[in-house]
Amino acid sequence: MARGITRRSLIKGTVAGGVVLGTGLGRVSMGYGKPAKGKEPIRIGGQGATSGAHADYGWQMMAGATLAIEEINAKGGVLGRKLELKFMDEELKPATAVKNARYLVTDWGADFLFGVDSSGSAMAVGPVLPELNKLCFFCHAATHRLTEELVAEKGIKQIFRMVAPVYQDALAAWAFKDASNIKRWAGINCDYEYGYVAWNLFKQTMKKFRPDVEFVAAAWAPFWTMDFSSHISAVMAEKPDGIFATPWAGEGVMLLRQALLLGVFDKIQVWWQAMGGSVDLLEGISREVEGNKFQGKLWATARYIHNYPDTPENKKFVEAFRKRWGKFPNYSAESSYSSIYAIKAGVEKAQSLETAKVAAALEGMELKTPAGPRLIRKEDHQALYTVPAGKVMKTPDYPIPVLGDLKVVPAKDYFRNPPFEPVAATK
Amino acid sequence: MPGERMGKLLVGALLLFLVLLPLFSGRYLPYVVVQILVLALFAMGFNLLLGYTGLLSFGQAGFFAIGAYACAKLLLVVPSLPLGVAAGVLAGSLAAAFLGVLCVRHTRIYFSMLTLSFGMMIYSLAWKWREVTGGDDGLVGIPRAPVGIPGLFEISMGPMTHYYYFVLAVSVGAILLLRRLVRSPFVLILKGIRDSENRACFSGIPVRKYKLTAFVLAGAYAALAGSLVPPLESTVTPPLAHWTHSAEPVLVTLLGGIYSFSGPMVGAACFYLLKDFIVRFTQYWLICFGSIIVILVLLFRGGLVIFFQEKVLGFLGAKTARGAGRG
Amino acid sequence: MLEKLVFQGLIGLNLAMYLWLLSAGLTLVFGVLGVLNFAHGSLFMLGAYLAFTFYGKLGLSFGVSVLFSLAGVGLIGAILERFFFRRIYNLEVPYQLILTFGFILIFDDLVKMVWGGVAMIPPMPAFLDGSLLVMGRPFPVYNLFIILFGIAVALFLWFALERTWWGRTVRASAFDREMASAIGVDIPRIFTLVFVLAAMLAALGGALGTPVRVVAPGIGTAMIIQAFVITVIGGLGNLKGAFVGALIVGVLTAYGILLFPVFELFIIFVVMGAVLMLKPEGLFAK
Repeated sequence: MARGITRRSLIKGTVAGGVVLGTGLGRVSMGYGKPAKGKEPIRIGGQGATSGAHADYGWQMMAGATLAIEEINAKGGVLGRKLELKFMDEELKPATAVKNARYLVTDWGADFLFGVDSSGSAMAVGPVLPELNKLCFFCHAATHRLTEELVAEKGIKQIFRMVAPVYQDALAAWAFKDASNIKRWAGINCDYEYGYVAWNLFKQTMKKFRPDVEFVAAAWAPFWTMDFSSHISAVMAEKPDGIFATPWAGEGVMLLRQALLLGVFDKIQVWWQAMGGSVDLLEGISREVEGNKFQGKLWATARYIHNYPDTPENKKFVEAFRKRWGKFPNYSAESSYSSIYAIKAGVEKAQSLETAKVAAALEGMELKTPAGPRLIRKEDHQALYTVPAGKVMKTPDYPIPVLGDLKVVPAKDYFRNPPFEPVAATK
Repeated sequence: MPGERMGKLLVGALLLFLVLLPLFSGRYLPYVVVQILVLALFAMGFNLLLGYTGLLSFGQAGFFAIGAYACAKLLLVVPSLPLGVAAGVLAGSLAAAFLGVLCVRHTRIYFSMLTLSFGMMIYSLAWKWREVTGGDDGLVGIPRAPVGIPGLFEISMGPMTHYYYFVLAVSVGAILLLRRLVRSPFVLILKGIRDSENRACFSGIPVRKYKLTAFVLAGAYAALAGSLVPPLESTVTPPLAHWTHSAEPVLVTLLGGIYSFSGPMVGAACFYLLKDFIVRFTQYWLICFGSIIVILVLLFRGGLVIFFQEKVLGFLGAKTARGAGRG
Repeated sequence: MLEKLVFQGLIGLNLAMYLWLLSAGLTLVFGVLGVLNFAHGSLFMLGAYLAFTFYGKLGLSFGVSVLFSLAGVGLIGAILERFFFRRIYNLEVPYQLILTFGFILIFDDLVKMVWGGVAMIPPMPAFLDGSLLVMGRPFPVYNLFIILFGIAVALFLWFALERTWWGRTVRASAFDREMASAIGVDIPRIFTLVFVLAAMLAALGGALGTPVRVVAPGIGTAMIIQAFVITVIGGLGNLKGAFVGALIVGVLTAYGILLFPVFELFIIFVVMGAVLMLKPEGLFAK
């Protein structure tokens, strides 16, 4: 390869690159630059994980938002303008999530953002929001740092979280504080921040109620664990009375199935499956619940459960969702549905789409949502609403298991409240 | 030669276009160009190994991540963008020098597997060493620090446009440097090693030393690309080091063509724009992308640059195409 | 302590068998065809999905479903080899890797199109349900079945490759393609058969996992890197090495979780790197 050839190929390559970039430009700028005024639709950009093992969570988010938008548009929209949705795949990768947010706002022309499944993605999108200056309503990412650090401490007012964060996991302590026969707890937790914080919050809260309780073992499962037998058998070697488990979605189903195989439920008093109230997980263990394989020892919560609360709003939502999609809504569907209604409420109160005005209008507002009244806390933009814990059981009213024997603790009691004390995010 | 003059003109036009871009485009396009330049630097360094030395590294994302983390760490303490980037490049080069000594003793698939294992070690470190790396949440709140000399002058990097020009300048500089290098005897020897390692050995060339130098350079370019990311996104996270990220420069380089200098650049632009385009219209973007890769390997093996030279230019005029056949 | 270690060891052995079934095909294809197949994990995933469909959805018996799944993935393997892989044997490694990488993406999305994104799990076949007491703790019959089955597959492969005419032909074509071709071996046919066999081994691992592991898009990609590690430890192309490598990784993982849970992800890659540096042909090179 002679030198001249290299140079020629450089030049011609650049030409090729220029052509590609040029056509790219033509295309990219096509969608951009239209002023979103007058009767133009209000654009709402969402993102969630729609590929990979957790693809259902992103799909649910998209489905909930679509339902809300269809309902609102059927009634004439917001301020006389229709809503328009674009939903993208965040791949559970922070870099992709940031790129999506930038694309949605600066090219597609989104007026509001919502969604985001992974905590890492949320922590990456949050700091970019002031630059984009659009509100983003987070519908899943559980990390407490999103609202505690980025909103309450650093003052990023563009962040709102409509879904219960990792605080929800401390509920286990409230649910079992009076069970005097459960003294030895073991944890099977996700080997990332969510698992560490959930386990630490649970331990902290439990210790407050019950100084006599011991935490005898903890096993840590990285993302994408396909076999939990080793984790289960490692913690069972310490003969615990209760197990606190955080793996979610398909991993949760697998964990419970493998625990059954290893005879765990003959030995323990109670198993807490943190996000076990999610629809996909309940469906996954439906057969075992029906066959009473868990012997009534399986407890769970979620960030919303389709059979709570028993209100007309919730019934209407679940029915509309089932009619539209042929499935039950899980918590990411409910929170994206409520996010769209929050946008509607905020814009109508502010009579404007301006970020600062809508944010101010939403602060301290209480919304009527399927999950019950949601209060948007001013200090950290966290929505407060109550989700109970319950025993996983089958009732004749629903084709899939539900949570029963509900223990209802008001959210303001078990959520963390400002000013926030730091919580350890380590094992 | 008229063809070459036309080429130069077009390179100039492209540069002018990039310089003027923020004046007439929206906010999104400059961001896309920054991302493309980052990917292009990443891939051009990688191609020094693959195209010029014949070594397929499957762990380049490790050095990319080291550059990103080092730059982020420094910016969190000292708010100076050039220092941050320098720290990133330095850290990446040192890591590449250290791991390179161990890697270049091996060839072919063993080299690829070894780099894969080192890349994944870096990934697990980023994931597990929470005190330093922030674990799965990574490092957040990294400032887009200003460029300047304290007390003399300071240019704020706050607006995206400013950062765009910074990245453009750094990239053009790095690409020119690499172009000089590619025309030096050093790269001729690398090619000699690629074509026949034994012959190079017999001619008394210290093969490993050359390979190591190429490895360090590739690592430095990966780290440079990586260190441009934290000021852009204000976050760095472990997926930057994952093997699927190491696959990106491979893909991009093959797409553009491994035997041409500009191949990785063209590949990066096409790759990025293509993905950006597909994800807008379908949630099934993986299948579109996968199919494109398969078609590419089966039909356009030489890469787009050579395809363009042979088919498009060849069609436009025999004069231009002559001699550009091999590249 | 001893009972803990023995029990955990058995758990690790069970884990190792899935890894073995996945790595066996990977190393076989590399050894004979010379291609490192990133998409091998996708065949594992397809095996799981097909078995799930026949068994969990259509209600066929578990054994029949596994067989149907093997046949289905075998067919997919034949198509892949005949129309795609065959064209890349003479290409350089990067092209081969990237082509197989492309198939990972395609299969992950295809599966989502057909079966949706929800993770699914079928019931446990009745005849394998239940548990035995091992060291005073219940150990699933199913895990025991998997361990025995994995060993049986290893013996079968050893017999097929070492003791049959077909096996000798395969080994000859792996050793020297041109020589084998010269003495009348139908190389393309051997290659297709080996690829189909490898695809079926992967599918077997996926299918047998369905009652205890979930079926979800991407489960193959999650395991393929582990299979790479095993294949490297055992020596690329070395079947016996892959078996021992799978045992090492499976048991190390299980003990790692019990004894030093902090760095178990890191350890696997350190082992891989160390083997490559000290003995790149693998621990079991002749």
